[in-house]
Amino acid sequence: MGSLFRSEEMSLCQLFLQSEAAYACVSELGELGVVQFRDLNPDVNAFQRKFVNEVRRCAEMERKLRFLEKEIKKDEIPTLDAGDNPDAPAPREMIDLEATFEKLENEMKEVNANAEALKRNFLELTELKHILRKTQNFFEEEEHSIVDDAQHALGVDDSRPIASQAQPLQLGFVAGVILRERIPAFERMLWRVCRGNVFLKQAEIESPLEDPVTGDQVNKSVFIIFFQGDQLKSRVKKICEGFRATLYPCPETPAERREMAIGVMTRIEDLNTVLGQTQDHRHRVLVAAAKNITVWFIKVRKIKAIYHTLNLFNLDVTSKCLIAECWAPVVELDKIQLGLRRGTERSGSSVPSVLNRMETSEEPPTYFKTNKFTSAFQAIINAYGMANYREVNPAPYAIITFPFLFSVMFGDAGHGLIMFLFGLWMVVREKQLLTVKDAGEIWDTFFGGRYIILLMGLFSIYSGLLYNDAFSKSFNIFGSSWRVTDDFPIYGPNKSTIISHIQLSPNSTAFQGDVYPFGLDPVWQLSGNKIAYTNSYKMKLSIILGVSQMLFGVILSTFNHRYFKNTLNLFCEFLPQVLFLLCMFGYLVMLVFYKWIYFSAIERNSNCAPSLLIGLINMFLFTYPKAPCSSHTFYPGQQAVQTLLVVMAVLCLPWMLLVKPFILRWQAQRKIGGSMHHRSTRQVPKVTNINGDADDSGAAEEVIHHDDVDIIHIHKEKEEEFQFGEVMIHSAIHTIEYCLGTISHTASYLRLWALSLAHAQLSEVLWTMLFRIGLSMNGYHGSIIIAGVFFAWACCTIGILLLMEGLSAFLHTLRLHWVEFQSKFYTGAGYAFQAFSFAQIMEFKTDD
Amino acid sequence: MESLTFNIDNGYLEGLVRGFKCGILKRDDYTNLVQCETLEDLKLHLQSTDYSNFLANEPSPLQVSTIDDKLKEKMVIEFQHMRNHAVEPLSTFLDYITYSYMIDNIILLITGTLHQRSISELITKCHPLGSFEQMEAIHVASTPAELYNAVLVDTPLAPYFIDCISEQDLDEMNIEIIRNTLYKAYIEDFYKFCEETGGATADVMCEALSFEADRRAFIITINSFGTELTKDDRAKLYPRCGRLHPDGLAALARADDYEQVRAVSEYYAEYKLLFEGSGTNPGEKTLEDKFFEYEVKLMVNGFMQQFHYGVFYAYVKLKEQECRNIIWIAECVAQQHRTKIDSYIPIF
Repeated sequence: MGSLFRSEEMSLCQLFLQSEAAYACVSELGELGVVQFRDLNPDVNAFQRKFVNEVRRCAEMERKLRFLEKEIKKDEIPTLDAGDNPDAPAPREMIDLEATFEKLENEMKEVNANAEALKRNFLELTELKHILRKTQNFFEEEEHSIVDDAQHALGVDDSRPIASQAQPLQLGFVAGVILRERIPAFERMLWRVCRGNVFLKQAEIESPLEDPVTGDQVNKSVFIIFFQGDQLKSRVKKICEGFRATLYPCPETPAERREMAIGVMTRIEDLNTVLGQTQDHRHRVLVAAAKNITVWFIKVRKIKAIYHTLNLFNLDVTSKCLIAECWAPVVELDKIQLGLRRGTERSGSSVPSVLNRMETSEEPPTYFKTNKFTSAFQAIINAYGMANYREVNPAPYAIITFPFLFSVMFGDAGHGLIMFLFGLWMVVREKQLLTVKDAGEIWDTFFGGRYIILLMGLFSIYSGLLYNDAFSKSFNIFGSSWRVTDDFPIYGPNKSTIISHIQLSPNSTAFQGDVYPFGLDPVWQLSGNKIAYTNSYKMKLSIILGVSQMLFGVILSTFNHRYFKNTLNLFCEFLPQVLFLLCMFGYLVMLVFYKWIYFSAIERNSNCAPSLLIGLINMFLFTYPKAPCSSHTFYPGQQAVQTLLVVMAVLCLPWMLLVKPFILRWQAQRKIGGSMHHRSTRQVPKVTNINGDADDSGAAEEVIHHDDVDIIHIHKEKEEEFQFGEVMIHSAIHTIEYCLGTISHTASYLRLWALSLAHAQLSEVLWTMLFRIGLSMNGYHGSIIIAGVFFAWACCTIGILLLMEGLSAFLHTLRLHWVEFQSKFYTGAGYAFQAFSFAQIMEFKTDD
Repeated sequence: MESLTFNIDNGYLEGLVRGFKCGILKRDDYTNLVQCETLEDLKLHLQSTDYSNFLANEPSPLQVSTIDDKLKEKMVIEFQHMRNHAVEPLSTFLDYITYSYMIDNIILLITGTLHQRSISELITKCHPLGSFEQMEAIHVASTPAELYNAVLVDTPLAPYFIDCISEQDLDEMNIEIIRNTLYKAYIEDFYKFCEETGGATADVMCEALSFEADRRAFIITINSFGTELTKDDRAKLYPRCGRLHPDGLAALARADDYEQVRAVSEYYAEYKLLFEGSGTNPGEKTLEDKFFEYEVKLMVNGFMQQFHYGVFYAYVKLKEQECRNIIWIAECVAQQHRTKIDSYIPIF
């Protein structure tokens, strides 16, 4: 019973680390990932701790790295993730790293600033190009009409001589570019402010332009506004400014415009080459950075984690060494020692680091060493509650009972096979699938439970074969034990009509007398009384399984009582509990077997076999009626035996309820009497040196000599006042819970039967209602229909039966384990061991 | 009935806002913040709160203004998220909340242009919750009528502005009057809207808005002493939906000095306490702080009821107060002016 049976033995250790070696040692421990450091200065603010500056420098480095990463992502350069795991760099390397990042960041910023300036320039030129092109159109196409319209629109005095139109450009105009979505508001505002005295003409720029700051693509429009007079001009300009429109100078004559356009075109050409060069430079810098960025991230995060951990430590009075407290599994202590020595060597410190085990009354954290197979099962248990330290862990039993109880409810070989294959696929392709990240929460859940799914599939095939059920059909492997005989009522009176509901009766001669070797006889699939038959079978099975599992749970509690040396619980809890369970439901299970074995259709009159349920009720009512024959007794002397059992069960109640509290009270009273001389010898926690190594021992002792008792936390003495009332209430609650629980939990196990029935019925309905339609078709069109129907049937099978039913069976199994099984022995009030581990930190960071 | 159907449309958002509310800094956080030596410390501590990494990408050295911007940005992102998921009538309610910021922005811009500041400089100072499309073109207007016709007519504030059109030109005094007239109309309208919504919303919001109205009335009266504002004009600026309406407002309209205002407050138990606890001496809290404290109390109480829109208003107000607190502490830390660092207003 390896490490899963109980959690790892933990020990509170004290570390004395030379201040120059502390960093390297913590780094080694982080790679090992087997110690949990305790915060020794919980009252100190985050920013008042010793290494806060280093943490801050790391945060700054991370910021720079994030900036670089963002730029790299923007340029869509693939980052190299070789999966290598560099050691945390030495503190002095931090300065180099900082310098590198600083240089890169500045370079990037410079390049970006240049690029932005160039882009802005480029944008302006492009906009100007568009303006020149569009306004050319305005002027050419509508030279006359614009002027006319404008003059009309502006309400130019009609009485003016026509000659004035010879100088149409007395109208001022501005041209510019504006975001397309702002046009309506812009136009409306212009109209309102200028009271309609302006004329706006706009045209869309077809190709989107790039915003130099954000790099987004934006749609813009060219506009040109005609107006009259300076006052309007200033207003128009203000509005343009307000709407972030950029205005460009636009020459008035076509020739000038053409000239300008040519100038703009050449400048754009020039700019394009410069821009290209800038982009190339940027790309080169980023590609170089992209190669290293993952490694850098890991390094910086490790440094940060180390300094965070160092912040938890206490400083020695002489400030030559740091003092840390940590929980560590006892079996890993050698590894930790080794790591510490490596760290000390690496830092070149002459004084070795020392590890001391401390004794403490504090409850250690719970730590299970799991592997990829057991971790999912352990996770199921932990989801209910972290086990108490060294408590019996239900997880190893759940590895078998969980898939088994699931399969009892999910008993279908076909569905089980699909599930098994899915689980197998995930397990076989584990390595490839592990590298896929961000595949969604649902997938992660399935993938995390791949071994559970595999086992659940496997067990479902087994119970499916026992139920002889695959997609609601049966296999006839060994040949049915039923033959068609004359009185086999398969045909109606005239031998041509098949009676749809055949009632199979073992009394008839159709039954050969020998039993189908494995599982259910396939002939039951045809029979009308199939459900009545399987119900009786599955119901009894559920009770048997349930009572066995509960009994097992109660027995497991003895391991706890014995391990924690709680003899009182053994006699005052375990014994009455097990008696209570056995007297009531253990006896019932025995009767079930008795009935199965003793009665058979042929030899004894099974019509008159006593009913189990009525029998159980009568047992508690002490009534033994003579009629009907099904309420007769199983065996002679049953009345006496049953009366004895009931009396014993009832006697268990006061035993459970009263004995323990009164014994505790007696003990407490005795202690008060004798505690006068005990109190003075309160023990100071001992410091034991487990540093067995001969080389170290001299130095180690030296350090221990100044063991200030005040740095060892003297934890609260757990000598609470004995309160009889509280203990009594506690006991009453426990007794009531257990006794009612025994009854309700047994009933609760009937869900095994109910879900199994539901599953079988659903899959049968799916077959008869859906697939049967396809099978009953004839001719060529039948083949097409059957393909379609198969598709629908397959979808329903996967969706409803596998996913929904599977989930429901899973949840019921979970409940049976959490409530019915674990309540018998499992407290689950511990707290988890959280190791300081780089691996975990990296994983967590990538999740963000 | 309301509680039956409320969650159909607003359950998600109410849950969300209550979640946001849990992220508001607690008393412990403030005691830690106050101990900070530098802004870097402040950043480090805020990282351990709900703000987490909101400053992580800011290069050192940190400016108070960056903190302010980031605080606002966070709040605006949260608000916009809720606004985008809201349906009628909650969406209108949320819009109403933004109107007060719009009023502030307009007044800020007009005052700025009056003092010849450039519009782009002013825009950065505007609260992002109250931005609207025509905002930046506000400097084309030189009279209230123009302001109305050109800029505000398309905004939801247009109906509130009707009363101000008659003002002749934009000077400091008139701007103040415009601000208060706008606020008055806004609060009264918001009050009416909440009353029509009914239910718990009306209960919570009417109390909050009455207080807001009364606070404005008090502040207007106190600030008007020694200015050329006539008593009649002053009386026109009082929002008429508070507890002071109508008797208290009439008394306030007649007041000539602080003592008389104080005398008015004597008739109202809750305001009496505020006036009694305030003072200008060192160690005493200003009346303004007292009002803020009372507002915080009201807003926290708003969360005690379920199925109403008041929580959104309360959240915005509390968050605003929290921003003020953090900025106050940050300023004190940055200027090494630690004596007054404790005069923030704790929320929980």
